[in-house]
Amino acid sequence: MTGVASVAAPPLGAAAPGAAWLARARRRAAPWLLLLPAATVLIPFFLLPLVALLRNSFNRDDPTALMVTDFTWVNYAQVVTDPLYLGSFVNSLAMAAAVTAVTLVFGYPFAYYLVRWAGRGSLALRWVIYTPLIVSVIARVFGWMVIIADSGLVNTALLTAGIIDEPLRLLFSAGGVFLGLAHRYFPLMVLPIASSIAKIDPALLRVSAGLGSRTVRTFFHVVLPLSLPGVVAGAQLVFAAVLSDFVMPLLMGSTRFRMLAPAIFDEAIGNVSWASAAAMAMVMLAVVAGMLLVTNRMFRLAAPWARTL
Amino acid sequence: MSPESSGQAAGRATAGALLYRAYVVGICVFVIAPIAVAIVLSFSSVSQLRFPPPGLSLQWYAKALATREFVSGFTLSVAVAASVSAVSMVAGTLAALAINHHRFPGRAVVQVFVAMPLVLPAVVIGLGLLQTLAWYGMRTGFAAVVLGHAVIGIPYVTYLVLAALANYDLSLEHASLSLGAGRLRTFVQVTLPLLRPGIVAGGAFAFLLSFDNVALSLFLTRGDTLPLRLMQHIQYYADPSVAAVSTILVVISLVVMLVVGRTLRQREDIRLVT
Repeated sequence: MTGVASVAAPPLGAAAPGAAWLARARRRAAPWLLLLPAATVLIPFFLLPLVALLRNSFNRDDPTALMVTDFTWVNYAQVVTDPLYLGSFVNSLAMAAAVTAVTLVFGYPFAYYLVRWAGRGSLALRWVIYTPLIVSVIARVFGWMVIIADSGLVNTALLTAGIIDEPLRLLFSAGGVFLGLAHRYFPLMVLPIASSIAKIDPALLRVSAGLGSRTVRTFFHVVLPLSLPGVVAGAQLVFAAVLSDFVMPLLMGSTRFRMLAPAIFDEAIGNVSWASAAAMAMVMLAVVAGMLLVTNRMFRLAAPWARTL
Repeated sequence: MSPESSGQAAGRATAGALLYRAYVVGICVFVIAPIAVAIVLSFSSVSQLRFPPPGLSLQWYAKALATREFVSGFTLSVAVAASVSAVSMVAGTLAALAINHHRFPGRAVVQVFVAMPLVLPAVVIGLGLLQTLAWYGMRTGFAAVVLGHAVIGIPYVTYLVLAALANYDLSLEHASLSLGAGRLRTFVQVTLPLLRPGIVAGGAFAFLLSFDNVALSLFLTRGDTLPLRLMQHIQYYADPSVAAVSTILVVISLVVMLVVGRTLRQREDIRLVT
């Protein structure tokens, strides 16, 4: 079954050339046999659907026949010119950039504390950061609704304190979506950063301190550069996750602030415009792929010491 | 905490260190608050989302359990997640063994391909599946959603098993084979037990991500999994019965995590034995 079996010495009677050929063939086939179950799922249900989307994005939507086979750029033209589609793109990109920036700024110090300062409390902090990952997203949305609704905790507190005269519109606004997304993806930023800080050799810090650097200097010259791989990984994960998030825009957003994932869903299911939905999905895919490539490239130029990653 | 213990000791008294600690506590409150609020409110005695609740009751649990959509959604989601977990554990473990034990042409491509579903937007995968189900004579429903979720479950299992394989000693398999155990027996009695922590952790992750999935389920079901039912409910009447269901889900997630944690601790025992 396993490859080791085929690597092991051939049976004693394997002198005949036919048997040797058989053994070699079996050794060659072994990895592909092991990959077969994964391929049976991933090729028809992941690779081919992406190919189909690419092809369908050049078709023409038809009110009577779902899609008409064609080769036209009209769907892509629509995505970049129609203010409705373009708007949802711009909104989603801006939201992804904002959530990534804010979770990075707030997440880095948290990750640093988790690894370097927490000591015995680190297990408790780890549980805190894992919690959002294991609690149903609907439960978290429900909690936020109670906290930021017009008559929710925040507004009640601010009104009672006399800081505001009428409730702030937080829920069902871009701000609410932002809060929900930042909360949902905070661990996705913290965990890679924490693991890259944890990998830094303590000897380097001792040397830096021993050479007379103060903690702040050590941080900016040793810790921060060496933790860049985690920062890049976290930023990539959060950015891509926000772009494709469906739940927060739907439950905590408003129809005035359209975002990409719900727009694609509406286009495909609501308007039954498969070709145009496919074009939107392809543009989204291109944005995510481009983001991954550009950040990896920038990262390699800016941080050549991490090339092995 | 050796590297910075001196810095920590010196900094403990300063206002900066206190501020830093307050900051971390603040972040913890931010992370926990919505979850805690949802749990407390599930015991509320009124239907308004008032916090703190004026009184306590179990009526929302009773209502949740009497809501047919929730119960059938829960049953369906458990069945889907369990199937996804099983499919992902088998396919993911075997794929990890292929990548770890063998050197073959195209290995690097296979590695990247298996990781791809994790970094590509789920909405795109879901839309692609919606437009290709007909090719396979399939329609939205159980089989479609299980296979769709498995697309994300398999990479998780593969990577967690690969991590477990990082400090795996191939000579144990050689020893087993040379001592006369057959290939199947070696696989079942040597390979599998050593990889169990990775497989179990991967299976648990696959279960949880399927159980909480929205982006793929939207395209692949008829809106009948539990997260979709909760979403529909919360859009029209956000009463504490959603919080009651959520609290039950939190308990289930915690149980799954504890089971995984226990299995991961057993890994230490295995290391001691070997």
